Amino acid sequence: MKGKTNWRSQQRNAWLAGLMPSIILLVVITLLPAMALVITSLTPLSLTNPQETFNFSDPLINYRQLLEDPRFLNSIITQIKLSLVSVLFQVIIGLGLALLLNGTSAWLHTARTLFLIPMVLPPIIVALIWKIIYTPDISPLHQVLELWGITLNSLIANPATALWAIAVADIWQWFPFTMLMVLAALQMIPRDPLEAASLDGASARNIFRYIVLPYIKPVLVVCALFRLIDSFKAFPLIYILTDGGPGTVTEVTNYYGFIQAFNFSYWGYGSAIAVVILVGVFVLSYIIGKAGWSDERKASA
Amino acid sequence: MQRRDLLKAMAAFGVYAMVPSFARGANGAKKYDGVTLNVSTFSTAYPTLLRQWLPEFEALTGAKVNFDTPAFPVYNQRADLELSTKGSAYDVVNVTFIYTSRWINSGWLTPLDEFIANPNLTSAEWDVHDFLAGGLGPETGRDGKLYGIPWVVEGMISGASRFDLVTQAGLKYPDTTDDLVKVFQAVNKKERVAAYVTDSHYGWTFIPYLQAFGGNVFRNPPDDLFPTLDTPEAIAAADYFARLIREFGPNGGLTYTADQSTQALKLGRVNFSDSSQPYLAQLGDPASSRTLKTVNFGQLVQGPAGRFPGMAVHALGIPAGSKNKEAAWAFIQWALSKQTTQRAVQAGYGSPTRRSDIDSQAYRSKQIINGVDLAQLSLSAIERAAQGGYMKYRTVDVYPQVDQQLNKAIALIISGQLSAKQAMQQAQTASIADLKRSGAKI
Repeated sequence: MKGKTNWRSQQRNAWLAGLMPSIILLVVITLLPAMALVITSLTPLSLTNPQETFNFSDPLINYRQLLEDPRFLNSIITQIKLSLVSVLFQVIIGLGLALLLNGTSAWLHTARTLFLIPMVLPPIIVALIWKIIYTPDISPLHQVLELWGITLNSLIANPATALWAIAVADIWQWFPFTMLMVLAALQMIPRDPLEAASLDGASARNIFRYIVLPYIKPVLVVCALFRLIDSFKAFPLIYILTDGGPGTVTEVTNYYGFIQAFNFSYWGYGSAIAVVILVGVFVLSYIIGKAGWSDERKASA
Repeated sequence: MQRRDLLKAMAAFGVYAMVPSFARGANGAKKYDGVTLNVSTFSTAYPTLLRQWLPEFEALTGAKVNFDTPAFPVYNQRADLELSTKGSAYDVVNVTFIYTSRWINSGWLTPLDEFIANPNLTSAEWDVHDFLAGGLGPETGRDGKLYGIPWVVEGMISGASRFDLVTQAGLKYPDTTDDLVKVFQAVNKKERVAAYVTDSHYGWTFIPYLQAFGGNVFRNPPDDLFPTLDTPEAIAAADYFARLIREFGPNGGLTYTADQSTQALKLGRVNFSDSSQPYLAQLGDPASSRTLKTVNFGQLVQGPAGRFPGMAVHALGIPAGSKNKEAAWAFIQWALSKQTTQRAVQAGYGSPTRRSDIDSQAYRSKQIINGVDLAQLSLSAIERAAQGGYMKYRTVDVYPQVDQQLNKAIALIISGQLSAKQAMQQAQTASIADLKRSGAKI
């Protein structure tokens, strides 16, 4: 018995020793900055007032102010609207195109490669492309419509359309991610049930609904949640296209935190905003863990 | 010795004789051999010229210069962050006008008076008093010391790219806020040219109208920083200004930057704009302006309370954390020496800060466009601002926050989301909250 315990203990120590470099690295590059962020969020630190760096006399002041800050609360609503719409359409368009392009011909291969381009472009280039499209003076979109006698008001200067203009650009940039993931999943579906259903006379719609969709559902969920988490980090599109405006209609939480920290130097307040975003991302990550991998866990159990 | 060798030797002696004190080391060695200077300003005309001539400074002093010129907002964010840590990443920085008080009075910059007074470091002919007083004023801290040497002083003026349309309508260059609306009503959309656009940085372009209507940003800057954005005068000014862009602006006028506005005027898509002289002077560029023959310029309009053209000064300064301050001063001295600034003027630079350059024939002759003396218009704006003291709102350390609130408020009015009264009241409340968060006593 003692020998067994010793062996287990040695095994545990060996695992620990093997993992230790990674754990140390993780602590240094992830946990320490996150802890610094949380600690800063408990102070009124402003760059023009550096003596406040370690002032913890009222640690929750930033969080209390956040609750009473209409611009911050509005930024959360804007964030939710932008995230939901852009992720929903990214998944729908990505899924649709993946189904259309799921084949072996050279044409489909070329089309798949072309559709991947937006995703591999640097975000700033994507933002510039859409800035050109949305600027009436130089926009091919506006010029074509004008040829047809249609005057389109600037989409990014109009509070009714500005957020959706950003959503369109975001969808264009990121639908290939879902398309790529779904294509990979589609190519993993075994041929037998598809052929059997086809021989039994099942319609294409029913094959999709009862065979394909259950196979790719976990991938779709993971795609949606990954994109949802990533949408919290929306920045270049908003920075280049609207600067959060007109007014504050496109000011998402991330962008508001940037303004507080880097335009106003309110690092304590900006850190509190970042902590709120961090908590939101943690919650979504937890959901990913639950929803995305649950089938696999059940299977392996 | 051949004639060519003799000429070379004479030239070498001449160059040595001209080498200023800042560059001379012991025993003929270059004074800053082995020193690397990190210089950062935002990207614009003067730094572009300096970059071309940098090898000469390096050859003269032995110092190596890393010259970084990002875009204006990027530069400001980087410099603000770096200066606040009192780090040594930069040896020479641009002292941005809007950050002047914040950077100087937080002790983030090095006073330059001792360098200027030291004859071993600064030659007498360099002459700090040759710089415009209106340019040196904002660079002076509460302690009376000088922290930056200006390289650009911009006065805000008005420009009209298609003044022929105004003449056809039988009108003159608008002088008052009432005239301006009359002119815009007469020319808007004529020949598909919108009447007006300006930089969407409204914390800069709206203020002359705010003050012309009798309003101000703060109650009495820099002593009393209580915001005054919801006064009847401020609301009337915001309503008037937003109307100019909403009714007379091009499609998407709300999003135009300063560069876009200038471009729209150069292409003749928009008629009028208010901007600083370096931007509007581009309308006189025969290579890129389609409106060269129809352009005209004037002073910013006056309102019920008078005329308040904006002014901005950007300067070169030395961060408190720099480890190469003496070499940094040598760079500033070279970059803004009479020889360098005269050379810049010869190359077409439009915003000199030395009186000797401004008064020079070389400068004046280049600034006359379609018979209008742009230099004089700009100079009168600069002098008016220096004498009137109404730009003090801009150099207080909390202005960046209020600037943002004004940008938002005017955009909200133009886009029809809020009335002028609602938007300015919202800006007032938000500004007070921001100022309290910064610890300002209001």
